[in-house]
Amino acid sequence: MEKEILEQGLNHNRRKFLSRLSLGIGSVALGSLLIPDLFTGKQEAEDGLMLALPHFAPKAKRIIYLFQNGAPSQLETFDYKPLLVKNFGEELPESIRGGQRLTGMTSGQSSFPLVGSYFPFQQYGESRAWISSLFPHISGVVNDLLIVKSMHTEAINHDPALTFFQTGAQVGNRPSMGSWLSYGLGSENANLPAFCVLLSRGKGNGQGVYSKLWSNGFLDATHQGVQFSNSEDPVLYLKDPQGMSREQRRKMIDQISVMNELNYKEFNDPQITAKVQQYEMAYRMQTAVPEITDTSREPDSVVKLYGPDCLVPGTYAANCLLARKLSESGVRFVQLYHQGWDAHDNLPNQMIGQAKDVDQSTAGLITDLKQRGLLDETLIIWGGEFGRTNYCQGKIQLDNYGRDHHPRAFSIFMAGGGVKSGMVYGETDEFGYNITENPVHVHDFQATVMNLMGIDHEKLTYKHLGRRYRLTDVHGKVVKDLIA
Amino acid sequence: MPKILRIIPLLENLLFFWLGLALVLSLAGERLEIPPVLQVMGRTHPLLLHFPIVLLLIAVGLFWVAEGKLKTAAGQLLLAGANLTGVTVVAGLLLAAEEYGGEALVWHQWLGLISLGLSILIYFYRNESARFLKLSTLTLAVAITLTGHFGANLTHGEDFLLAPIQSKETEFVAMEDAEVFRHLVQPILEAKCIACHKEGKIKGELRMDEIAGLQKGGKTGPFVVPGDLNESLLIQRINLPKDNEEHMPPKNKAQLTEQELEILQLWVASGASLEQKVTELKQEEPLFRFASEKFTVEKTYTFKSASESDIKSLNNFFRKVSPVYPGFPALEVSYFGTSAFDPSSLRDLKKISGQTVKLNLNRMPLGGVDMGFLKDFENLEELQLNFTGIRGGQLTVLSRLENLKNLAISGNELGDGAVTELGKLKNLKRLFFWQSGLDDNQQEELKKALPQTIIDFGFSGKGLLYELNAPKIGIEAAIFKDSIELKLSHPIRSTDIRYTLDGTVPDSSASPKYSPGIWIKTSTEIRARAFAQDWIGSDEATVSVFKSGIKAKEVSLRKDPIPRYKANGSITLIDGIKGKANHTSGEWLGYQLTPLEAEIDLDTGQRPIELTLSLLYHESAHIFTPEKVNIWLYTGTGWDKVPTEIPSQPTKIRETRFGLLKYPLPEKEFSRIKIEVIPVSKLPAWHPGAGSKGWVFMDEILLN
Repeated sequence: MEKEILEQGLNHNRRKFLSRLSLGIGSVALGSLLIPDLFTGKQEAEDGLMLALPHFAPKAKRIIYLFQNGAPSQLETFDYKPLLVKNFGEELPESIRGGQRLTGMTSGQSSFPLVGSYFPFQQYGESRAWISSLFPHISGVVNDLLIVKSMHTEAINHDPALTFFQTGAQVGNRPSMGSWLSYGLGSENANLPAFCVLLSRGKGNGQGVYSKLWSNGFLDATHQGVQFSNSEDPVLYLKDPQGMSREQRRKMIDQISVMNELNYKEFNDPQITAKVQQYEMAYRMQTAVPEITDTSREPDSVVKLYGPDCLVPGTYAANCLLARKLSESGVRFVQLYHQGWDAHDNLPNQMIGQAKDVDQSTAGLITDLKQRGLLDETLIIWGGEFGRTNYCQGKIQLDNYGRDHHPRAFSIFMAGGGVKSGMVYGETDEFGYNITENPVHVHDFQATVMNLMGIDHEKLTYKHLGRRYRLTDVHGKVVKDLIA
Repeated sequence: MPKILRIIPLLENLLFFWLGLALVLSLAGERLEIPPVLQVMGRTHPLLLHFPIVLLLIAVGLFWVAEGKLKTAAGQLLLAGANLTGVTVVAGLLLAAEEYGGEALVWHQWLGLISLGLSILIYFYRNESARFLKLSTLTLAVAITLTGHFGANLTHGEDFLLAPIQSKETEFVAMEDAEVFRHLVQPILEAKCIACHKEGKIKGELRMDEIAGLQKGGKTGPFVVPGDLNESLLIQRINLPKDNEEHMPPKNKAQLTEQELEILQLWVASGASLEQKVTELKQEEPLFRFASEKFTVEKTYTFKSASESDIKSLNNFFRKVSPVYPGFPALEVSYFGTSAFDPSSLRDLKKISGQTVKLNLNRMPLGGVDMGFLKDFENLEELQLNFTGIRGGQLTVLSRLENLKNLAISGNELGDGAVTELGKLKNLKRLFFWQSGLDDNQQEELKKALPQTIIDFGFSGKGLLYELNAPKIGIEAAIFKDSIELKLSHPIRSTDIRYTLDGTVPDSSASPKYSPGIWIKTSTEIRARAFAQDWIGSDEATVSVFKSGIKAKEVSLRKDPIPRYKANGSITLIDGIKGKANHTSGEWLGYQLTPLEAEIDLDTGQRPIELTLSLLYHESAHIFTPEKVNIWLYTGTGWDKVPTEIPSQPTKIRETRFGLLKYPLPEKEFSRIKIEVIPVSKLPAWHPGAGSKGWVFMDEILLN
């Protein structure tokens, strides 16, 4: 018995253990050969080694996103529904609404009378797109437009819907689209931020915009959107104070960098390096920005193109002009917000004002980029966070009515940057309530935009709190039909 | 001897049966007529073949290593294996008569027969000599392997085995070279159809591995009828339900994806052309869409990449050099920062002149710069020179750039010679030519010289009349002591600003034109408008300025204002600050229930001759002109009342505005002034708040 125990012990000697172990390791190694990115791929992405490179040939290099904050009505702009005019005041059939949830603003309404557009529609361009009389200039550039009438979203109120559009999630704290692109593609012009934000506000009922919409979320702080002030001095505190020369400024920044470097060595906080980079960026912006914001050298015809308002700081038109100047100077993503589209009541009146703000300058921006040969590489996006209901909110009159929020179908348009031009995509039912053809979800839109920029939306990820995040979360399909 | 072994002699005999049958069937060849029942048997071939392979190979292995009893077992295995080989060979021969043919079949068939023969031979001579046994079993193993390999080729296609490790040349087909049939359709046929429809296995008598075969069609009809989806067998078969026997590809084979199915249908519908190029399709056509997904729009480049270190060294804050596509040799170069531009840095680009396909010099001051460096940029396709101040004479070098497709040269006063130089660029596809200082004749001339080029002359704004926006008055409503400088500006520099100080509306001829250096010395309303050629005159901009020549020593309030509108208390009235046009700005004293009563102490020697009340009017907020103003002067002995006019009341609601009430003061000695400003006691009947008490808002008492 004892002998057996001894033998058992001897059998399990170190040599035997090692030799068996080596076999085991060998098999693991062999198996791992079949998992190519086991030791490399993901590491690389996280180290940012593969970044600053598109995943495939980009069609667009830059984006100007003209966000119409508050949600313009699709039924008064691009989604022509004669039935609503014909059946004015009649009840929205329950079969169409299909028990969809409503906002607290109309859920208490006892009736949902259909209301048609106060504004007449006409067909324009090769695509014979229907556009209302609110947009005389935009209808003039219709051959450059790709109108998508079948957008839909999940959110029903402004804040979540906006946040969803911009960050891919309804809750805050995720990086904005511009931040993702800055992270993925880097800056073209090292003297300017890759992501700039311009705000303006129309006279219509407004909804807030907040810095979380251009937040870098968990990405490095250098990817945050830089908000320009809507005053004559778009970037505040850019001038050196009196008595401070460029050389002194340089010395000062160098000294701060040395100190920050020491701090970084001690705490290893990446925010410190981000800060150093931002000081450097601000220093370079001191020369780069004045060149861009100086509109005095714009020819008269440009002013006529965007409308005279483009020289009044803080207007949408001025922001369009500034957006072009930033974009042509290599800013990847210029995000505009124009507030005032939330027409729950007095819609025709409000829309006249809002449309007047944006019509000429939006069309002007497209024409301007085109005549400089830049439209092909610049993607323009125009649209709000959702649509508006086909039934009236509040009192109903032919020329005075309101519309509530409608996430199920709405219209946006894009131009340039590798999207098809002169095309209308998607269709809604004759009530303009549900999509009947080619729906495009917000995540699909985001995936498509990233695709145009040369990024595979499934590959651009960032690991945070133990999981990988991307702009489109776990959804999104590139809508190839939209790509030229 | 166990009972089971009694069948051995039977099996031994059976071997010769298979051999004979196999020989007969092989020699009969084409003349065979297989009844359906036997066809079924033939089709069991792919199932059966696995058994003999396994049994024979085990037997071979045992013969090589085993001794004694095991060797006996090996013999029995061999016997069983040989019999199954027989069955398989026979089934195979029946199957071969169906629709197979070609070289692979010949090899497979005869190697199969040899395997059968060999296994029988080995079985009967296995005990003769060890050397024979080893040699013959080895040969058998090789024969079985080869048979299997050729069989697999028949079923799965040539090179099935080695395909994964054979270098696949992923063909980078550029959009402009792509052909519909060759690059879109044929790859599908190759992937999903050809295995059964090719030389060697011409199922249904249809060969898809050569164009002639497609044109000839198959047993039941033509492969495709151009333009006719219903008559085309290809389309019929692929659209049959999957369980239908005629469905193609057969149920157990890899199926067409939806996209592939659609491509094939679109191809047939569009005429099943064998030559059409993708670029000949219209953009809206779905086929074009499929093609654009598949082929790189980017041109493929054959030149060598520039060195990594060169690219790196050329990148700095003001110049970006990067590949147009990761891994592509082609580079694009962009310059940024007008003030930092150094023309000599253009010469650095020589290192990458062969690889640069796109160069962006927009807004870099290039006037007078020698553009000769461009001559080496043989692959340059796109050049952007907008707003660079370049002149026509600097463009001579462009004619040497044979690959130049896009030229953006907007915003330059090109001058003479430009048309001649640009007219030489026959390969140009697009020319962006907005604001280039050429007259209509020159533009026409250029169009004629470049018939193939799309020229964008852009937006001139000619003939469009817009209204200018109002000029900006650089001073806000202000109170001044002696004088104030008039500052007017307009963002469009070509405008004239005309102004008036006498309350009249400025016009484009009579009113004075603004130039800096004008000083205002009295209270007045500044009105200004902007005018320019090709524009409609602007709206008015107006600002009122107030002269307060005498600053009182002190002022005290006898009655407190409404607490929300108490501003800074009494001092508000003489602080020299003009309130904004908003009663909640904190610069206005507001009274409603009681009159505003104030006493003003003058310094010795101050002799005002006019007292002005600076008020705010805003009817919709119930802010009205006072109902009555009373003024008293303290002459040392008592209060003397000054006669005052009753102010006229508004008759409708107007926008928020400033108001002044002026009262002349008599020429006599006084040291204090007392005023009483009484709000409207009842708002007039036309007002929505008719009957309620009105408000008075005042921000300053002006003495002159």
